[in-house]
Amino acid sequence: MPLLRNNEIIENDPWTFFDDEQELHSDWDYAIVTAARFLQLASDGEQLPDGVRVAPDDDVHLLKPYISQLKLICISFPVYTDGRGYSHARLVRQRFGYKGELRAVGDIREDHISFMQRSGINAFDCISMPDLTLLKQLITRFEHTYQPSYPLSKLG
Amino acid sequence: MYHYTEHDKAFVQARVDEFSDQVARYEQGKLDEDEFKQLRLRNGLYYQRHAYMLRVAIPYGVLSADQLHQLGHIADTYDKGYGHFTTRQNIQYNWPELQDVPKILQDLADVDMHAIQTSGNCIRNTTTDPLAGAVADEIEDPRPWCELIRQWSTLHPEFNWLPRKFKIAVTGSKNDRAAVQVHDIGLRLVKNENDETGFEVLVGGGLGRTPHIGSVINSFLPSADLLTYLNAILRVYNQYGRRDNLYKARIKILVNAMGIGAFKDAVETEWANSKHEDDSFTTEQIDALKAQFPSAPAIDDVAITEPREIHSNPLFNQWYQSNTREHRDPGRRIVFVSLKSADAPAGDATGAQMQAVAKIAAQYSESEIRTTHEQNLVLPHVKISQLYELWRALGKQKLATANIGKLSDMIVCPGLDFCSLANAGTHTIYDQINTRFDDIDYQHELGDISIKISGCMNACGHHHVGDIGILGVEKGGVEWYQLTLGGHAGNKAAIGKRLGKAIPKEGVADAIEKILATFIEYRSEEENFNTTFERIGVEPFKEHVYAIAA
Ligand code: SF4
Repeated sequence: MPLLRNNEIIENDPWTFFDDEQELHSDWDYAIVTAARFLQLASDGEQLPDGVRVAPDDDVHLLKPYISQLKLICISFPVYTDGRGYSHARLVRQRFGYKGELRAVGDIREDHISFMQRSGINAFDCISMPDLTLLKQLITRFEHTYQPSYPLSKLG
Repeated sequence: MYHYTEHDKAFVQARVDEFSDQVARYEQGKLDEDEFKQLRLRNGLYYQRHAYMLRVAIPYGVLSADQLHQLGHIADTYDKGYGHFTTRQNIQYNWPELQDVPKILQDLADVDMHAIQTSGNCIRNTTTDPLAGAVADEIEDPRPWCELIRQWSTLHPEFNWLPRKFKIAVTGSKNDRAAVQVHDIGLRLVKNENDETGFEVLVGGGLGRTPHIGSVINSFLPSADLLTYLNAILRVYNQYGRRDNLYKARIKILVNAMGIGAFKDAVETEWANSKHEDDSFTTEQIDALKAQFPSAPAIDDVAITEPREIHSNPLFNQWYQSNTREHRDPGRRIVFVSLKSADAPAGDATGAQMQAVAKIAAQYSESEIRTTHEQNLVLPHVKISQLYELWRALGKQKLATANIGKLSDMIVCPGLDFCSLANAGTHTIYDQINTRFDDIDYQHELGDISIKISGCMNACGHHHVGDIGILGVEKGGVEWYQLTLGGHAGNKAAIGKRLGKAIPKEGVADAIEKILATFIEYRSEEENFNTTFERIGVEPFKEHVYAIAA
């Protein structure tokens, strides 16, 4: 699915998601696993992949000890009406001080991206090719907001 | 009252532009039905029984004369000439066309109003005491705090997709006229032993299918911590509130499932971390808001303590007694404008009436109007010397019904006429009761009594907290009515007790007549219904209503 980062379409995304049944191949650098699997690997003392995917009902606090070693955190929105990911994103970005790529995955649509950005998410795996002109308009529409937004951190 | 800054104006304008584009994209097929629905709901636009309905926010129930004038203009231009004031101090228009909605929102923006977050699973319009800033029993005016909450909650990036809708109410007075115990969060301004102002915070109250009285989560929250604490509650709710079942998604269910102790622990733990990192506000900011709500200018002529005409005109006197209240300035009175006449559905006002009240407010009430939870209007600052003139002006608009707090001052949800969830035509019941008890003198003899009617379990008519609650239920395709007695929304909030089995539609006024007869039989002296009820309980009423005719 089309990946958008800093308002640009990223053509060659090196990352691959492995679901819990799939065997992890050796290219650890670009593997994403579920938070449950990640924590299992951690407690088994195994080597840890660089990417993790957080589901709405995961306890994101459990990932805190690993934040500095992660290179990609995906926040999953299986349906855009489930807003738990917004809280996860803010915790990861703000409380845990994560500086890497924070990517929204799942049911990601143009009209919600500005809210996600303001929660600290900086990459979006959209359900279909986003209209960049429209998107630009949507995310720059409100010059003033009533709450502080979380500055997009530079990609490490 | 609060005046928009340049930022507020630009913000609301941006929202109008955004929604206009969304409507255009929807019409071009570029936004699917489902997503458009979510987006329009967050702009107050419902689709009900084959027509759109627009709910406009009246922040904490405060309107200027210009704003009310514009609401009347909208009713006349885009609707069928009337609007409906709701139990949450907002106004609804039942007949807008989709293509007109951006124009309506523009007309609203022109007078610093909007329809943001009046529906959808997000933080709704904050409500408060309609008499705020005009009564003597206040610890502090709650309106600046409401405005602070309005700003904080407007398009909050984290809390726009909650498990369910979320309602906050604030009271600044010991006499709770904002029903804070039946809101998701209730805030009561209080003073501590050092005379500092703070909030008693209640959580998990609500009506609907499973009514709950809110529990105290914090008995003294320093006022400077208000927003960070709200943030912590909302974050815990956003993360842990149920999303699998619409009817179990309100915060009251979460608080109940966890227990208030565990819920409080979760909030306090979150707050301990987040109070330093979250959006807060400065003393300058709240002081600037407070400065926007000055007291009404003092009246020099304090010699006039009551209008002369009450002695010569009994009708005026009756209205004066029931529709006006003491103001903190002895030279003024607070005036209620009843929207409960037998001619129109409860809470409805025509465009012409709105514009007339706007004009009257400009002339007699410092250009200010309030909307109430009981679906009436308030002119908060009327000079005693002008009451008689004002009464005559209201009378010309059929707005001087002397029934505030009385039997015919009913709360009625939209019901079958407008609501797709309804089981029952609440307005037929309203008419039935109005016809049966049309004698206003009898109503005055009965004293204060509240009848609240909901067309289904969702309880928008707040039947749980009426002295007499009436709930429409459906059995085998027929409308029946379940009665409850002894509910209360104020300081001693209580959920009404079931009277007995449901009553057929034609029998509602009969049942009420028997309830009132029982009340009169047991009443001692000038007792109000709820006092008598507290003393004697539900049994005597039950016996009388369900007695088999001999
Ligand atoms: S109580 Fe039921 S019928 Fe009445 S407005 Fe609410 S949802 Fe509709």
